Amino acid sequence: MRAERSTIVFNIIGYIVITIFTVLCALPFWLIISGSLSAENDIIRDGFKLIPQNFSIDAYKSVFQNPEQIFTAYRVTILLTLGGTALGLFLTSMAGYVLSRKDFKYRDSLAFFIYFTTLFSGGLIPWYILIVNYLDWKDNFLALLIPGLMSAWNIILMKNFMKSIPESITESAKIDGAGEFTIYLKLILPLATPGLATIGLFLGLSYWNDWFAANMFITTESKYPLQFLLYKILASAAVLKTDIAGNLGPDFKPPAETLKMAVAIIVTGPIVFLYPFVQRYFVKGLTIGAVKG
Amino acid sequence: MKNRLFKLLTLCITTALLTTMLAACAGGNSGGSGKQSTGGSTPVTDNKPDTSKKVELNWYLVGDAHKDTPEVIKEWNKLLEKDLNTTVKLNFTTWNEWQTKYNLLLTSGEKVDMIFASSWADFFKFAKQGAFLDLTELLPVYAPETFKDVPEHDWKDVTINDKIYAIPSTHPEYTPDGIVYREDWRREINAPEIKDLDSIEKYMELVKSVKNVTPIKGSAWNEVNTLFRNYNDFKNIGGDSGVIVAKSYDTPRDVIAYPFTTEFEEWVKRMKTWADKGFWPSNTLSIKQESGDFIKTNTGAVYWRNTPGAAGFIADIDKNYKGIEMGYFPFSRFHNYVVPNLGINNGMAIPKNAANPERSLMVLEKLRNDKAYYELMTYGLEGHNYVVDENGALVSPAPGKDPAKVTAYGIASWGWRTDKNDRPSADRWKGEDALIEEYKPIARPDIFSPILMDYQPVKAQLAAVNQVYQQFGQPLMMGLVPDVDKAIENYRSRLKAAGVDAVLEYVQKEVNTYADARGLK
Repeated sequence: MRAERSTIVFNIIGYIVITIFTVLCALPFWLIISGSLSAENDIIRDGFKLIPQNFSIDAYKSVFQNPEQIFTAYRVTILLTLGGTALGLFLTSMAGYVLSRKDFKYRDSLAFFIYFTTLFSGGLIPWYILIVNYLDWKDNFLALLIPGLMSAWNIILMKNFMKSIPESITESAKIDGAGEFTIYLKLILPLATPGLATIGLFLGLSYWNDWFAANMFITTESKYPLQFLLYKILASAAVLKTDIAGNLGPDFKPPAETLKMAVAIIVTGPIVFLYPFVQRYFVKGLTIGAVKG
Repeated sequence: MKNRLFKLLTLCITTALLTTMLAACAGGNSGGSGKQSTGGSTPVTDNKPDTSKKVELNWYLVGDAHKDTPEVIKEWNKLLEKDLNTTVKLNFTTWNEWQTKYNLLLTSGEKVDMIFASSWADFFKFAKQGAFLDLTELLPVYAPETFKDVPEHDWKDVTINDKIYAIPSTHPEYTPDGIVYREDWRREINAPEIKDLDSIEKYMELVKSVKNVTPIKGSAWNEVNTLFRNYNDFKNIGGDSGVIVAKSYDTPRDVIAYPFTTEFEEWVKRMKTWADKGFWPSNTLSIKQESGDFIKTNTGAVYWRNTPGAAGFIADIDKNYKGIEMGYFPFSRFHNYVVPNLGINNGMAIPKNAANPERSLMVLEKLRNDKAYYELMTYGLEGHNYVVDENGALVSPAPGKDPAKVTAYGIASWGWRTDKNDRPSADRWKGEDALIEEYKPIARPDIFSPILMDYQPVKAQLAAVNQVYQQFGQPLMMGLVPDVDKAIENYRSRLKAAGVDAVLEYVQKEVNTYADARGLK
């Protein structure tokens, strides 16, 4: 079958535009990669280049100089991400399902309560006091895990998604004698895979990228998650520009420009590879939500 | 519909009420527990405090832990457990937003037994707000040696309303500003010895014309601003006070806004010629890179550093960049005096919610006065992180260790530093010793830092003035304006409009109060 002339033209234009956008998106990332592989002196002298003048892997060497530390941090982050995402999905989907059931009498008022909390927040200090003084979670993994488990936004998203599952499915299962939990586990969850994937990705990303909670609550180096460990390496540079610099010993070295870039690559690496695997569900989830809303 | 709206409203109000009630309860609770914890003191028998109860103390330092810190603390706790039946959990804030975290530690009522304190970490503000425990009564009982050891004038620095709120380090420090410069280049291009402003100018001119190198290639603001302040002897009041300064050290009550002086006029005219000669790049105010980095790659020559900072920088150059020779010119030579840092430039304090303040003080007493404790905590593991050479100086890491794996131990140990136990580093920059000898006889006490101002009554004006300072003052100072006279006039009128007079008046009032209390002229 021959395509029409206009289709071909459209395709050509489409490819060109998409290529330009792709290049625009990829260029900064490429600069980071090339920067991380450059020699430090080249960057100080001439700034960043698209192709490294003198190829060097010193930056990666110095990040992995102390590999145990990085691997411990990787382990912390991966466990937190897996555990947090699984537990978070379970809780969020249960909440979303219950709120979507029409025979649950107080669903509107409850949904309102949940929604209400998105309008304002207590702020940093009450949050800190709650976690440190009342829950006693300072320097405890719970402080990293629990607060991120459920968010009002995810629950609402889940509830709306669950609404699109026909109620007759629940009814038919009931007639066949299934209990509420079986219905949820055996019927609703499989049907909700696109929604679960979407929210799972949100949760996974937020656990993977979270450094702030660790910044506030974790004080033992072996408990640092990856993002915070690497951010910490960068933060020491800023201190050199303040009055404190006079106190620091001559062995205190600021991280080099190339090191910053290498750090960025190491942190983004694994999560970038996750995208292609979940993208399938992700796209489907978005469209299903949109059509049936 | 109307009914539902009403219901909703009631709900909101109830929630709000409930929240306030809960908050009030919580406030009362934390206050109560705070009092209780400080009340329970260890009974003293025969002048020897009772240590029969095993205690774990919660200590906080700013900055990062060292790779070997867990190992060091383990050893340290072995000693402590034997002597005082105590262990310490040492926590670090890291440098990520450390000020926010430091603030939270002190305001949230967390149970912290000892924390690093310093004038640059807002010691005076926190002490006035009552964040620290009053140590006046405890010190002679639980830390008698330290109490005798710390000189009278250092105790005075941490005494607020007759109460002692911290234990300052005993290590006089001189941190005058100055510049490091390429000494080998100076000889190569036949520049005069650097001893005043003219010779600095000549040096940079020759670096530019002969070596064809931009002398201050990174951000040049610090270099020019500190040079200006020190050259004219304008003193900051109570930390960085922006455009409001004391006219000179000898006339502390003479508070002025320096942009209105003739000194300023002359200065910016001179800086205009410097900028035109290309002493720094024209985008210098937006460059984030430190000028020192360019010295290492032979593309820069001058870098601002205070004296300890210069010593660190030069030691690093000597070690890692062979063939570069650096010189140092401290700005203190303009007026021939230095102001040592306050005693509380570094120190340790006990937050008011500490669970075991008495035991914590006893540990600090040990740390400061027992050499074994001091060296372990400050320099790490002997034979691993360091050894002591025949002159009593530190060699790090210990010979035979791989320098890539074992590094010199370093944490924020500044708070308990004492001269009697302190050891210099063997590969330090030897020039620093000579400088300290130079400073000692010409030291004069710091009378400007302890003036504590919160600018509350003139907050709006101060914000506006700072805005003008950044937008118009900094480019003017860096000689980056086309017409200097017009720019000065514009800057002054904008400062006036922003309310600089009100700020000046406020600072003057605070300075007068302080000067009266201190009995200054």
